Amino acid sequence: MSTFRLGACIVAAACLTGCASEVVRSPASFTPAAGATRAQIEVAEEATVQSSSGYTRVLPAGSLWELRGSIAQGMAYRRVNGIFTVEGAHVHEAFIVISSGRLVGFYLPVEQAYSPAVPVVLKLK
Amino acid sequence: MKKPWIAGIALVLAMLGGCASGPKFETVEAGLATAPANMARIYFYRSTALGAAIQPDVSLNGAIVGKAEPNGIFYVDRSPGNMEVVTGSEVEKKLTFIAAAGEKRYVKLAVGFGVLVYRIIPELVSEEEARKEIGGLAYTGGNPAPPK
Repeated sequence: MSTFRLGACIVAAACLTGCASEVVRSPASFTPAAGATRAQIEVAEEATVQSSSGYTRVLPAGSLWELRGSIAQGMAYRRVNGIFTVEGAHVHEAFIVISSGRLVGFYLPVEQAYSPAVPVVLKLK
Repeated sequence: MKKPWIAGIALVLAMLGGCASGPKFETVEAGLATAPANMARIYFYRSTALGAAIQPDVSLNGAIVGKAEPNGIFYVDRSPGNMEVVTGSEVEKKLTFIAAAGEKRYVKLAVGFGVLVYRIIPELVSEEEARKEIGGLAYTGGNPAPPK
C-alpha cells in the first residue's frame, strides 16, 4: 500500500471513529412519582426506536418499566429488568418518555434533560 | 517478513502479557465486605485480554478509582446519586448513570478499535449479563478476607 493510501485510510478511520454526534437534549424539570408503589408497564412487542444522535435502541418484548416521574413531554419510566442507555458521543442511562401511548423521547436523569426520539407506538401488555 | 511465526508469537504475548493478576473473583466474592446500606456499589470489569497493552485509568466522578486491567474486576462503594465514568483512552467516551442506596451497578470496560490502537469504552450492563462474565476474572481490588 502506498504511503498516500495509508494516510488516506488513517484519516478516514479517524473521521469514522471519533465523530459521533452528541445526544441532542434540552433541560427538563422532573417531578418524581408519588407513593412507594410505582406503576409498571410491560412491552408486549419488540420496538426499535431511533434517538436524536441517529443510534437505534431496541425495547425487547417482555421488558419491564417502572414509572419514576414525569416531565413536560410525558411520563418517564426506568427499565426494571435490564439496562437502558442512549448513545451519541457519550453513553447516558435513560428513562423512556411516553405520551398518549407513544414513546416520544428519553429523560436523562444525570443530565436532567430531555432528548427527543422518532416517535414510536408501543404495544403494552 | 521472513519469519512470520515470530510476529505471531509477539502478537500473542502482547495480547496476553498484561493480564490482571489476582484471585478469581468467584473465590473471593463471599469474603468481600458488604456494601453499607446507605451506599451504592459499582463494579468495574474488563472481560477480555484483547488490547492488553492498553490499560487506562478508570475515573468515577473525576477521581481515579482503578485501572482497566484485562480480565480484571474491582469495585467501589459510593454515596448514591449521579455517576460519571471516564476511561483515559484514545477517544474519551464517558458513561453517565444513577445509583441508589443499596443498588449494585456494573460497568463493563469494553474494548473497541480506534484509529490505530484499541480503546476502552465504559458500558453499563445488567447484573444478569455481568454475572455471566465476572466469576473467572481476577479480583484486583483491595485485600479481601478469605472466603468462609
